[in-house]
Amino acid sequence: MGRISNARQYEVAHYATLQRISSLGGAALPFLIIGGLLYSAFFVKPKVEGVSVEPPVIERRDIFYGVAIPVPGSVWVAGNQGKIVRSDDGGTTWIHQATGVTAHLQSIAAWDPERAVAVGNDGTVVVTSDGGKTWAKTSMPANVAGAKLMRVRTYPGGKAWAVGEMGMALSSSDFGVNWRSTTAGEDVSWNDVVFVKDVGWLVGEFGRMQATRDGGANWKVLASPVKSSLNGVYFRDEHEGVAVGTEGVLLLTKDGGANWRVLPKIVDEHLYDVLWDGSRWIAVGDKGALLTAGISGDKWSDLSRDAGTTWHTQVVGANGSYLLAGYGVTKIDIDRDKRTETKKGKQ
Amino acid sequence: MIEKIIGWCVQSRKIIVGLLVIITVVMGVLATRVEVKTVFTDLLPQNHPYIAVNNRFKQSYGGSNMVSVMVEVEKGDILSLPILEKIQKITNDLGRVTGADPFQVTSIASKKLKEIKSSAEGIQTRPLMWPDLPRDEAQIAQLRKSITDSSLVYGAYVSHDFKAALITVDFFDHLVDYKAIFEQVRRIVDENKAPDLNIRVVGEPLLYGWVLHYLAETGYIFLGTLASLVLVLFLIARTWHGTAIPLVAAGMSFVWAMGFAGIMGYNMDPLVVVVAFLITALAISNSVQIVSRFDHKIARGIEPTSIDAAKASLSKLFRPAMLAVVADAGCIAVVALTPIPLLQKIAIIGGIWVLTIAISGVVLPALTVSWIRNPGRYAHPLNIKPLMHAVLHFCTHAATSRWRFFVVSIAGVVFVVSGLYAFKLKVGDANPGSPILKPDSVYNQDAAAINNIFRGSDRMFVVVSGEKQDTVKQPAVLENIAQFQRFMDAQPEIGGSVSLADVLPSVNRVLHEGNPHFLELGRDAAVNGELAYLFVSGSDPGDVQRFAATNYKNASVTLFFRDHQGDTIRSAIARIKEFTEKHPLPGVQYLLAGGLVGVLAAVNEVILAGQMEAIAWALLVLVVVAAITYRSLVAGMFFMIPVIVSNTLTFSYMAYHGIGMNINTLPVVALGIGLGVDYSFYVVDAIRDEMRRHGDLKQAIGHALDSAGMGVLSTMLTLVVSVCLWSFSSLRLQSEMGVLIAIWLSISAIAALILMPALVYVFKPAFVVGSVELKGEHVETLCT
Repeated sequence: MGRISNARQYEVAHYATLQRISSLGGAALPFLIIGGLLYSAFFVKPKVEGVSVEPPVIERRDIFYGVAIPVPGSVWVAGNQGKIVRSDDGGTTWIHQATGVTAHLQSIAAWDPERAVAVGNDGTVVVTSDGGKTWAKTSMPANVAGAKLMRVRTYPGGKAWAVGEMGMALSSSDFGVNWRSTTAGEDVSWNDVVFVKDVGWLVGEFGRMQATRDGGANWKVLASPVKSSLNGVYFRDEHEGVAVGTEGVLLLTKDGGANWRVLPKIVDEHLYDVLWDGSRWIAVGDKGALLTAGISGDKWSDLSRDAGTTWHTQVVGANGSYLLAGYGVTKIDIDRDKRTETKKGKQ
Repeated sequence: MIEKIIGWCVQSRKIIVGLLVIITVVMGVLATRVEVKTVFTDLLPQNHPYIAVNNRFKQSYGGSNMVSVMVEVEKGDILSLPILEKIQKITNDLGRVTGADPFQVTSIASKKLKEIKSSAEGIQTRPLMWPDLPRDEAQIAQLRKSITDSSLVYGAYVSHDFKAALITVDFFDHLVDYKAIFEQVRRIVDENKAPDLNIRVVGEPLLYGWVLHYLAETGYIFLGTLASLVLVLFLIARTWHGTAIPLVAAGMSFVWAMGFAGIMGYNMDPLVVVVAFLITALAISNSVQIVSRFDHKIARGIEPTSIDAAKASLSKLFRPAMLAVVADAGCIAVVALTPIPLLQKIAIIGGIWVLTIAISGVVLPALTVSWIRNPGRYAHPLNIKPLMHAVLHFCTHAATSRWRFFVVSIAGVVFVVSGLYAFKLKVGDANPGSPILKPDSVYNQDAAAINNIFRGSDRMFVVVSGEKQDTVKQPAVLENIAQFQRFMDAQPEIGGSVSLADVLPSVNRVLHEGNPHFLELGRDAAVNGELAYLFVSGSDPGDVQRFAATNYKNASVTLFFRDHQGDTIRSAIARIKEFTEKHPLPGVQYLLAGGLVGVLAAVNEVILAGQMEAIAWALLVLVVVAAITYRSLVAGMFFMIPVIVSNTLTFSYMAYHGIGMNINTLPVVALGIGLGVDYSFYVVDAIRDEMRRHGDLKQAIGHALDSAGMGVLSTMLTLVVSVCLWSFSSLRLQSEMGVLIAIWLSISAIAALILMPALVYVFKPAFVVGSVELKGEHVETLCT
């Protein structure tokens, strides 16, 4: 009996507690809830939030004009809107390097894995001496202002040559920090420059060519067999060189540029760059044009693959393995007939 | 007072029913005016700034009613005469489709896609393949070269592998006729079909065309649902009146609502069928309550005659029925707060429709049953009532034994867990493709294929607007646009973008012998003006207006999206704002946003802003109505419990199934709030009533579940079985909503039959048990 009555007392107490809770809640809660509803009806405005997007290092809109390989494995690429990216594993992974400039960079060259220079529009020149962690804009001679610099090449001892619009041919001998003009600014665009010791050559629009034998102190106009633009030039020694240009023009000289032979056209596409890699000549250009020749430089063969908008403005590399600058970076292995594009978003 | 009115009603039943019949006939005639169609402008929040931008610029920069046709070959490539001929034919035919803007048909066979060439005579622009097709292999080779030369064509209108070509056509918003567009475009596709050739079509007009295409099927499913309703009702009620009256009630409400829509000049959007069905479900629920209460009274011999039983049922149920009707009407009416015309129309028609249930679903059934001569006679021998009673007894046991604490705790846990999960509910579309159609539908497969090959078929345009003429020729502005595009293109769902800042560098490159080193903007406004002039020369005025206004005061950036999921759009909008904040340009504004994705962004923003508001207002309506009816704030709060639990559960289901909150689901959700509480009103009111009669809460709950609970259970079974037919619909929206409603009804029924009695038994709210009775019960408990 006692247990039952205890249980009942417990039940009564239990109900009383519940009742108190419900009456307490009953008094306050409705107002709280109605207040809360009114508040959310009037004041809660959800914010439009998006997912954050981490842009890829190599973006869809990247256009690369220049590529440099200071030592095998290390790669620098420069392109539009002042973009420079660096790879230390032969182009598998890339790191974006801030340059602080937004002008398009047209060319890049390096002395070693730490020191490099890139040139571009509006006389922009940026240099690094710490592998690209920091890039600094160099001050240029006054007459360079506004000129578009098309090409830069580096040579041992901190020497460098840069060429571009308004007859610009500039040299530096302190790893690109200070530059001086070596030609009187004339209204001609130089597209490429190449040196073998103190002997150097310039090529540009309207088929123009000049040469120097004294490290750029004096330049001599060379007779050109073509009137169309020449875009690239390379000499494998002081005598033998190749120049390439628009509409598949291929020129060969065996006498240091005094006489140029027009080689038969292999392709109709514009050619933008030519290189002697120590064992073969290689040239690249518009719509995937890719040509090679043996040491004589007079018999070229066409290795072009997929035609398309895949133009290339520069080729670097050696022993059949090359990197091409263009829409992204293309790695090709001529001997194994392989090519891989850098990863990019879909076009 | 109510008793008197009810008495008068039953006395004058002939006059009242006669009047109702006349009104129904008139409304039925008016209802024939209602057209079944989707009106595009109804879907847009017209006062949203994005819509204003879309309306202002859509004529030049491309509106949201665009159809893309992809011609894809399986072998070889598209550059063969027969295929090019087909592309040309489709291009020409698309321009003649009803409502198409003939100047906005774009493909390699249209006048709009051009090549820019430099030659001895200067710069020339000429259409790629207009008006004539190439005549021989040499001309085809030339065409191939021209296509690869143009970044505006290669990859955008012809795939990189030359296996597919794209044709786009824009429609005038005010001339859009989805049915006509769908039929004519499908005919064009059929006419040009060939082996090894795929023609795929995507675009909003087509999407709504598909919905109309399935209209007949929707009709059949609706009829099937109706048949199933009849069958299940007949099975459970076992009487002709128990079957016919709820259907007559639902039918009358439907006719009245449609008649009203006819008066207002509204149209019926086929996707709103789900909402129509929900309201029909409400009408059926309410009338089943009346009829089953009537049957209960007759069966138990509580009232001797049909007239008395009808009177008693009506007077007992009048309060909860009116409470249900007003609360439901309020809940759907708050949808009108979302400033989208379609939703506002649904709110108005829906609100009125629900209000008609007061007459059709409450008064009319009561009057009709009063005529029944042999109410106790069954029409078939199969009786599942004992089974249902067993279920109800189980519910009573669960609510009144020690299990009640378990029930309440489980409800608490379910609320917390589902409440947290419900935050995953997305606004906008939650999956790629259209949520209206199934993932394996032709449309969604076509959309996926086109978005896979091309850079995205859904477009958004952003307007870069300056204060002065020639603003967009300024290098700083164009550079800003170029940076903007680079920034936006980083988002993976954006397949690409195009603007004047892409066009001018291409022209500049052509000017410099095609040298890519000159793929850049001019160095000053004058040069950019020259480049623009060269691009324009020989074009139709409309061709440049794709990119910039003729006075170059503003320009467009068109972004191509691979999907239009809510998250994709929100990210894009947030990123546009991020960019413009970080890179401000004096005197220049980025105006958001036009095209389909811009319009959807506006709709999603409005719904996102409105959803909290709508839910809060709906709950508030409910609380206020319940509080007034029972003169108790606790009552208001009490009825929120089943609503909140069923809401969080349903939202969780939507989040789990990837059903986003959008223009089609928002009204269903708002109505669901009302739907979730109707059953509880009946059950709790019946408990209150029984309590007043014999003061024993346990017994009151048992009786209430036996009468009101029976109504709840039979309605729930009837509706759930019927609504399951919707899962066979080819329209994904309908099948998903069918399941959603079934779940909602089940949860609400469980809440009404177990949770609410348990809560009453645990908390003994004064508005149910009354303060005197509560004390009395305590005494009684002590004495026994």
